[in-house]
Amino acid sequence: MASDGGESKLRTFVVTRFDPDKDQVPKTQSYQVPCRPDWKVLDALNFIKDEIDPTLSHRWSCRMAVCGSCGMNVDGEPKLTCKTSLADYGDTVEIAPLANFPIIRDLVIEMDGFMEKFKAVKPWIIAAKEKAAEEGTYEQSPEQLAAFKQFSMCINCMLCYAACPVVSKEPDFLGPAAIALGHRYNMDSRDEGASERNAVFRGDGTVFHCSYANECSEVCPKNVDPAAAVNQAKLNAVIDWATSFVVKRSR
Amino acid sequence: MTAPSPGTDVEVLRHDVIVVGGGAAGLRAAIAAVEADSKLTVALVSKVYPMRSHTVSAEGGAAAYVPGSDDSLEKHLYDTIKGSDFLADQDAAEFFVEQATGELTKLEHWGCPWSRKEDGSVATRPFGGMTVPRTWYAADKVGFHMLHTLFQHSMRFDRIVRYDEHFVTKLLVDEGACRGVVSIDVRTGALRVFLGRSVILATGGAGKCFPFTTNGTIKTGDGMALAYRAGVGLKDMEFVQYHPTGLPGTGILITEASRGEGGYVINSEGERFLVTRDYGVGQKAELGPRDMISRAEILEIEAGRGVKGPYGEYVLLDLRHLGEEKIMAKLPFVRELAKTYAGVDPVHEPIPIRPVVHYMMGGVDTDIRGATPVPGLYAAGETACVSMNGANRLGSNSLTECLVFGARAGREAVVYGRGAADGNEPRLVAEAKQEGARLEALRGRKKGGEKIAQIRREMQLSMERGCGVYRNQEAMHQTVAEMAQLRGRVADLALEDESRIFNTELLQALELANMVDVAEAVAIAAAARKESRGAHACRDYPKRNDAEYLHHSMVFFAPGGPRLDKKPVTIGRFQPEERKY
Amino acid sequence: MARPADPHAMQPSRPGRTRTAPPQVPDDFWTRPRMRTYLLFDATGIVYLLVGLVALRVAWALRDGKAAWDALLASFAHPAYLAFHGLALVCALFVGVRFFRLFPKAQPAHIGPAKPPPRPVLHAMLYAAWIGITLVLLAILGGVWPK
Repeated sequence: MASDGGESKLRTFVVTRFDPDKDQVPKTQSYQVPCRPDWKVLDALNFIKDEIDPTLSHRWSCRMAVCGSCGMNVDGEPKLTCKTSLADYGDTVEIAPLANFPIIRDLVIEMDGFMEKFKAVKPWIIAAKEKAAEEGTYEQSPEQLAAFKQFSMCINCMLCYAACPVVSKEPDFLGPAAIALGHRYNMDSRDEGASERNAVFRGDGTVFHCSYANECSEVCPKNVDPAAAVNQAKLNAVIDWATSFVVKRSR
Repeated sequence: MTAPSPGTDVEVLRHDVIVVGGGAAGLRAAIAAVEADSKLTVALVSKVYPMRSHTVSAEGGAAAYVPGSDDSLEKHLYDTIKGSDFLADQDAAEFFVEQATGELTKLEHWGCPWSRKEDGSVATRPFGGMTVPRTWYAADKVGFHMLHTLFQHSMRFDRIVRYDEHFVTKLLVDEGACRGVVSIDVRTGALRVFLGRSVILATGGAGKCFPFTTNGTIKTGDGMALAYRAGVGLKDMEFVQYHPTGLPGTGILITEASRGEGGYVINSEGERFLVTRDYGVGQKAELGPRDMISRAEILEIEAGRGVKGPYGEYVLLDLRHLGEEKIMAKLPFVRELAKTYAGVDPVHEPIPIRPVVHYMMGGVDTDIRGATPVPGLYAAGETACVSMNGANRLGSNSLTECLVFGARAGREAVVYGRGAADGNEPRLVAEAKQEGARLEALRGRKKGGEKIAQIRREMQLSMERGCGVYRNQEAMHQTVAEMAQLRGRVADLALEDESRIFNTELLQALELANMVDVAEAVAIAAAARKESRGAHACRDYPKRNDAEYLHHSMVFFAPGGPRLDKKPVTIGRFQPEERKY
Repeated sequence: MARPADPHAMQPSRPGRTRTAPPQVPDDFWTRPRMRTYLLFDATGIVYLLVGLVALRVAWALRDGKAAWDALLASFAHPAYLAFHGLALVCALFVGVRFFRLFPKAQPAHIGPAKPPPRPVLHAMLYAAWIGITLVLLAILGGVWPK
């Protein structure tokens, strides 16, 4: 990002460091950074990497809050560092890797646990019969699109996992983003796989681990409202279970 | 658990097709490959998790003929070719428009949430340079939705094996054919060699060679540099697309759709200069092609009608007359971006904008099948230059291009693989070990005289001076010289981080070397093209010169410095004519 | 600055290829205001458990006859019981308000052909039902209705 606007202010960043080859446990390191008034937290991190300490590892890419790479805990709250203005913080800012995730190095967390939960909800269109391209698109009204659109906006930044008290204590829980994504497909008029996903929602990682903390929706940078998705999924999962005694299913 | 020691331990992974890059083109190629053959496996090797690929940031839409509309394949073809300033290979463009509808339809079947009309059919919006609205859209986050749809759909296939956060450093070529790639497993720092029958490069463009770009940090031209060093020519590199509406400073993209929905571009006097002054866009005004609008903006700023700001001068994009309801329905992401990154609410204030680097029309030389001249090596998406975009790309064509040519490259790679033999594994592994030793020597190389950030900055500023919206011979030659000098200096980088595990400094050094090679190719091709065509506007030669320059430029790697060559353009049914709108 | 979360939180099913540091939460993860509110919300479950035990007491008193019933009612006048029932009322209101706030967004856009009413309407309907039922019960228990 460019760095030409206005008077700089010196801020102290207390950053978590961890190199598994050298450190037994994570520790912190402080850096003094001259910060422009319009900087985001990410600008300061990149300044540290470029000008002060090239050994700091962190993930980032788009810098416009759509790729989901740069999630970290800033002063204890999960944030997208590319979207978080330093103007909202004081002279000292603490930057830690996302809570509730194992730490690979410095601010980089282990994502594969999330990727497994993500895949477990079968996040793709399940249709009884494959439609050929020549048959054209499905008809889907704006109202049908609106039934799931909000839940398709998740950028997989995992801030919701860092905020969720259940994720912190219950390792099996599928978690907000994975459930929201499964729910997104359940509510898509083109999908016919709701029973399969609802079985997953009632399984080991059950949606019923959720106890209405609503922290996920508080921290979501994209207004996906995963708490709504998880709790909607609860109702759908129950109805699906009840009707399974009445309606015979092939799957 | 200790990771294998880099340079000595080499892990070999065998797959039939190796796709490098996990964006729209790479994912589409992988899906096409596993669909084409029920037994083969595909390695999807990406330096980031696929949903982080830069496809995600595309906003406006993807173009394709809508059956039953008053559009036609011929109109789409003509718009594309005229938009390319007649440098596109017309057979490639024709294949593209024929395949476009099917690809976007497939994506819809896979769950892409295209915005809809009341009757349930897919909606379209007007876009720059298109005579008929044919841009399918998903609010104003089309790249995000397309990428996530492709990624999630790809997860159905166990035969697509993902290697996330693996950085490819070298192509393995044996007996003239590409047999695999050498990569660093970013997590462990260990060397992982992928051996297979074919390699498809889909690593995107190289916007980060410039200081102001819509591109994210990962767009460092890795695939282009890999192919270039393996002897494949880079085609039409001088054609760099400046998107007319990027935010000053950050370069963040404000989609063309904001103009498609009726936005105005105005100068400091509030004048809609694309309408009131003659900038060649005629009736199309704000929906003219990107190269012309970018030039118009620069000329307005040079004439003193720009607005001064902390990141240079800019002009304005006015959406106020659209009203809050329309903005929230059609351009909600634009509103969010303007508020977060420009401190402006477009419902009440115009958005500051200026041309920023967005897309590379040029890239790895491929034919219409996505094949490079090296057997077994393919490329698709922004990395490749087929060429279907010629000297200037129309907005919303590139996302469809990723699908069409990604799918083609995937299918062709499978067909090729059936007839190909495996490479000489011991020889390839030995070559990989040499590469491993080179990387080991680079990691934590404290005894150097140069800093990554310093060289990167100098490269970017030089490219801005020499390869901006308007170019001149003197500045271009200066940049060519500066790039050659930087190439030398990159070999003397000082690196601090000795750690093997998730060493992003090492990756930055490798990316910098890639960028310098690509930037040098851009500069040298630009200096050699003594005409103005499409996005290449040379002040010393302001006119298009078909007699001498109706050809593709080619840049080849050579030890003493890049070598230039030409390649003919395939003309089809549209003879080159004056490009007026 | 940070304390451990569950050591298995977000761990992949197979160990990663490098040693990771165990998951952490910030020191104030459990004490931040929003989290405190949520923990109180869940903790009211203890109060309901106790209310359930009181309900058992009521049932036994009904079984044991008029003398036991009168003794029960007399014991409810004790300040401890008054305080407890006051607490239970506060908890019910707290949980009710929070639950009602979340309930409308927990309704899927449709279940088959059925659609929920708009969220503000649904929110208002919940309060109408709650207050209505409360008034009816008070009327019955107060002997006011049915006559």
